[in-house]
Amino acid sequence: MAAPKTITLSVSRFDPERDEEPRLQSYDVPFHDDWVVLDALNWIKTHADGSVNYRWSCRMGICGSCGMNVNRQPKLGCSAFLRDYLPGPIVVEPLNNFPVLRDLIIDMDSFMEKLRWVKPWIIREETALSAGEHRQTPAQIEQFRQFSMCINCMLCYSACPVIPIEPSFVGPAAIALARRYDLDSRDRAGEERLRTITGNDAVWDCSFVGECSAVCPKDVDPAKAIQQTKFESTMGMLLPWGGTK
Amino acid sequence: MNAAVTHPDGAPGPAARPRTHPYRQPFTWWLRRRGYVLYMIRELSALPIAVWWVLFLVEVARLRSGPSGYQPLEGWFVAVSVVCLAAALWHTYTFLSLAGLIMRIPLGEGNVPAKTIVRAAFGGFVVLTAVIAGLMIWGGA
Repeated sequence: MAAPKTITLSVSRFDPERDEEPRLQSYDVPFHDDWVVLDALNWIKTHADGSVNYRWSCRMGICGSCGMNVNRQPKLGCSAFLRDYLPGPIVVEPLNNFPVLRDLIIDMDSFMEKLRWVKPWIIREETALSAGEHRQTPAQIEQFRQFSMCINCMLCYSACPVIPIEPSFVGPAAIALARRYDLDSRDRAGEERLRTITGNDAVWDCSFVGECSAVCPKDVDPAKAIQQTKFESTMGMLLPWGGTK
Repeated sequence: MNAAVTHPDGAPGPAARPRTHPYRQPFTWWLRRRGYVLYMIRELSALPIAVWWVLFLVEVARLRSGPSGYQPLEGWFVAVSVVCLAAALWHTYTFLSLAGLIMRIPLGEGNVPAKTIVRAAFGGFVVLTAVIAGLMIWGGA
């Protein structure tokens, strides 16, 4: 089948000063086999309608800025090829489970607060520089490596059906990052961080739908992080030798 | 200002938060992805098991009058039991399949492979089922 010359993008538009509800606006965009949705949005912004708003930066699946719903599925705009949605139209909407600021731009303040809450950094007593570096074996790095690949794109929050029911639920990415530091042999905050993510609004709010892992563009497995934390906190309570490291 | 738009800080000003449109989860959210549908089936498969236990307790209560007065339930109870068994097996399958994901068992510098954990879980399930079935048959005899 010959490739079409154009493809239609239906983009969600919301102007907080004018609109009561988001509405869809259609644009005919040139079709190129190697174009992604982000390329199409950039074409719209440059050639058709400069008022369309969306976040983007690296264009290569690293920065996590261009998370959006493409045909109702959470995707990175820079990784969703137009050719996979032929013959169109392609419906582009903001991520689910977040308030919309304007068009495709969501308010991510709640996510940033949740991220800070789990203390995603190495916590340990400072030692003198003369004591040398904190060495790790490849096996020790392998324990947490996959959880360190998270780019905070929030696709997992968009796919999680618990978030709209329990808005205070800390959510998949934050728990995956907490797990990343819990499993780091250099970290000494295991108990402190574990108390946080096994307390209110954390792992026990998760009903294990598992779609957070299915939509992750970096193959991080937040569902695994959450379920392992549940299991190990239970073992830690029942068994004297239970723990996270 | 319309009701659908929130404006938490009230009057506009330098410190005012921008107005936003809140997300509302539709009732049909679980139809949006295959994974959601499978999740609902997994969770709902626990319901027939609960129903079966209620029926089982009814049966036990009917035994109070002794073996002479006991009349077994009709064929529909067998049919319901078959449905419940299918649901229980599906629920068990989904649960045990995830054992390798949930459990992290340290072994040397690494962990016990997930496949080994899943196989051990299914093996344990088969052995325990056989033991319980054996005890019931032996007790019945």
